Amino acid sequence: MKNGKQNQPRATTEVKDTTTLTIQSHTNRNKQKETNRVWDFFCSVKLAVVIILIMVVACILGTVILQEKTLDEYTAKYGYGLATFFRITQLTNIFHSYWFSFLLVLLCANLICCTIKRWRNTFLQTGFILTHLSLVLILIGGVIKFQLGVKGGVNVYEGKSVNYFLTQLINRQGKLDYIKKDLPFSIALDDFILEKNEPKFHLVSYVKSKDRQKILDVKTGKRQRVPGSDYRVTVKDYVPDAELQQEPINTSNEPENPAIYLKLLGSERVAAEGWLLAHDRNYYDDKRQSLRIEYVWLPSREELDDAIGSVEKEHAKLSVAIAGQGLLQDYPLEFNKVFKIQGTEYSLRMLQYVLNYGDRRPLSEQPPDNPAVQVEVNGPEGSETRWVFEKFPDWDKMHPGKYTNVKLTCSGIAGSYMAKNTVRIFQTLDGMQVIAFIRDKRVAETMPWEVGKKYTMGDISGQIMIASYFPSFDFKKEVVKKSDDVGTPAIFVEVDGPRGKIEDWLFSNNQYATWYPDNNFALVYESTGESVKHFTSKLRIEENGQTVAEKTIRVNDPLKYKGYVIYQSSYDPEAGAFSGLQIVKDPGIPVVYSGFGALCFGVIFIFYVKPFLRKKSKKEAEE
Amino acid sequence: MSLINITLILYIMTSVAYIAREVWRSSVAKWISLGLFILGFCFNVSWLVTRSIEAGHPPFSNLYESLVFYACCTALVYIIFEFIYNFRIVGALASVLAMLILLYATLQDPTIRPIMPALKSNWMLAHVITYMLGYGAFGISFVTSGIFLAIKPFAKNKKRNEGEKGNEISLINFDKLSYKLVAFGFPFLTLGMVTGAVWAKKAWGDYWSWDPKETWSLITWLAYLAYLHTPLILPKMNISKSKTSVILAFWLLISFGIVNFTFVGLNYLPSAADSEHIYGSK
Repeated sequence: MKNGKQNQPRATTEVKDTTTLTIQSHTNRNKQKETNRVWDFFCSVKLAVVIILIMVVACILGTVILQEKTLDEYTAKYGYGLATFFRITQLTNIFHSYWFSFLLVLLCANLICCTIKRWRNTFLQTGFILTHLSLVLILIGGVIKFQLGVKGGVNVYEGKSVNYFLTQLINRQGKLDYIKKDLPFSIALDDFILEKNEPKFHLVSYVKSKDRQKILDVKTGKRQRVPGSDYRVTVKDYVPDAELQQEPINTSNEPENPAIYLKLLGSERVAAEGWLLAHDRNYYDDKRQSLRIEYVWLPSREELDDAIGSVEKEHAKLSVAIAGQGLLQDYPLEFNKVFKIQGTEYSLRMLQYVLNYGDRRPLSEQPPDNPAVQVEVNGPEGSETRWVFEKFPDWDKMHPGKYTNVKLTCSGIAGSYMAKNTVRIFQTLDGMQVIAFIRDKRVAETMPWEVGKKYTMGDISGQIMIASYFPSFDFKKEVVKKSDDVGTPAIFVEVDGPRGKIEDWLFSNNQYATWYPDNNFALVYESTGESVKHFTSKLRIEENGQTVAEKTIRVNDPLKYKGYVIYQSSYDPEAGAFSGLQIVKDPGIPVVYSGFGALCFGVIFIFYVKPFLRKKSKKEAEE
Repeated sequence: MSLINITLILYIMTSVAYIAREVWRSSVAKWISLGLFILGFCFNVSWLVTRSIEAGHPPFSNLYESLVFYACCTALVYIIFEFIYNFRIVGALASVLAMLILLYATLQDPTIRPIMPALKSNWMLAHVITYMLGYGAFGISFVTSGIFLAIKPFAKNKKRNEGEKGNEISLINFDKLSYKLVAFGFPFLTLGMVTGAVWAKKAWGDYWSWDPKETWSLITWLAYLAYLHTPLILPKMNISKSKTSVILAFWLLISFGIVNFTFVGLNYLPSAADSEHIYGSK
């Protein structure tokens, strides 16, 4: 339909041209022909389509090649040769390049010529004229923006003001540059408000074998099948603001996990108190008076006697075995002394020892987790230094050094370090309870102990009291409701699957998933809140010390003053201390917006109003 | 069953009904197929309504919601055109197109998340609605161009305008139908681009900043602009009418590819990381 309409006027122009041509003289004819050709070229739809297609290609290139980056970034991504080529051909900033601008100028000329040529001054042409000229307006507006407009940003701290902003550009050297632009006024940030969304909580299920996540309903009491699987989930309880409290309890009278509650009493108040677990953390260190209190569980009375009797004999030793000679010798832990191994060419020198290998703290603070001795071995091929680990006797076999035939092991290192004052609280399966005070590695005092009694040991300041004894210590996990408001919600969930039913509490502040025993199904109760709802800045514009404008700006609602528009663009993500403002000045806006209006009206006219009008006139003509 | 699944099933049934209508031409078959399509559309709309109530914001805040809306608009444009022209087989493929878009939507993350401040704008509403109507029209024009190209080699001897009764358009004249669909959709595309520019100015301070999303929306617009202008030049280049129609039909297929790339494909671009507007990049 557009086809037929716009071909007609062209035919009439050609007729007119030929009639004028016959009147012209011969010499003028060539000139006329030449100008006509140029004119026709600028008027042609062909040129328009060619420009459109070139623009399409340019636009595609402009999104495939990264735009407006620094020279370093281009070189890193494309290599030096290609980066240089892109820079020379302005492919690094296509949309502001000379050739793209030329294309737009050509398009403008094309649009104007074409409009003039086809101008018929009829109502039906309204759409055609509006659309074509609107594009010219938009392009002119774009040029105004490019020449006279500025766009930049500045961060303002609460209570402070600024009278400048920074624009960003890639300079001729291909480096990122900031240019400071002064404002003819100053912007004061009186208040910055960051409003967050109410957090929302989702129960998300994950089936590993299908790699599928699903959000489940958290309605309590509803048994639901996880889609696409055989797991069934029932939310049994919901607490809007929950806290997990762990209460120590005793689960049986059999000593499965013996623990004592120890109190170190000062002159007026309790200086320290806590649980000591025989099979877990079994000691307490009081660094101020070089005191260690240990809780030692032993199977029988005999072993208790041994343990007390051997305190003074507890000696660390280093054992040496030479392969092929069957030689086994023990040496006491003495440092920087050379031990000659009799009957061999080897000698040893112990350099240092640690209680927990790799621990950088001083010896007195190291737990006896991985004791080791550093030993220098001297032999026919020179010296070799190696670490000997008490708990890993085969370490040297796995990490062979120079003398693979020299096998070193050590023992008793953990026990060799002892605080100046040590209190050992012994307990045996057959009911013996003995407390021993060891001073400078010598047992100074032993006595039986009872729950609830206070003991004064040597010159230790304060008294020791074993407040309670749990043969089978455990924690009872209890979820308590802190308030009725939504704080840290938790749900109690039952999962039914191939391995039966399990139940557990899921806390919204626990980011880790809770797995079903088959390790194929997991649940996580996650919060999707904390996202920003609004951020607003209360701005005041000051000129010569006087407030001339005031507004609380937010995204989508800027402040306008003297041709500048101040937008809320970002904020300090860590502390929320500053507000990120974007400052734009674009005198081309009225031109561009009138172009937008004309374009919208024009396309609606061409494709909706015009066909309607033509149909109407056709009908009238038929009648 | 969820509303989405019901809509999906209805769209499949619509497709079957349209094929049956080709075989058994009667006004009953016509109303059944059209009725099914309208029913599917209604379920599609009801999902959008319940979703916006549930989420508390218009249902275009993420890719999932936008895709469902896209499917809805495709159905709407088809139904409008069916009332104007007698479409026949187009409905079978249009419903499949709507179904495929919905199916693609179901692969996306359906979580309702709070919307970011920049999306709270009436310009954004106008922008999305006009764009999706335009996209819907281009989707149907993709279908008609495809049918035209498929039927073209077999209809060489058939004269144009032959066998057209009333509003019924014979398959061989589907190039004209495609043009009408583009003519319907192009103003919406233009409005969508302009409202998008005004929204961007309000939210980000610039109506045009050559962001990849903006650039590709321009590419889409230029592609259809070229389509609207080529009929004016091809006859002058000694290209026959029949060839012109084939070239234009191909051009529409490519253009619809560009539409969908602009909508969902931009994440594959190297410049996507810098974009403010690509779904899922933030």
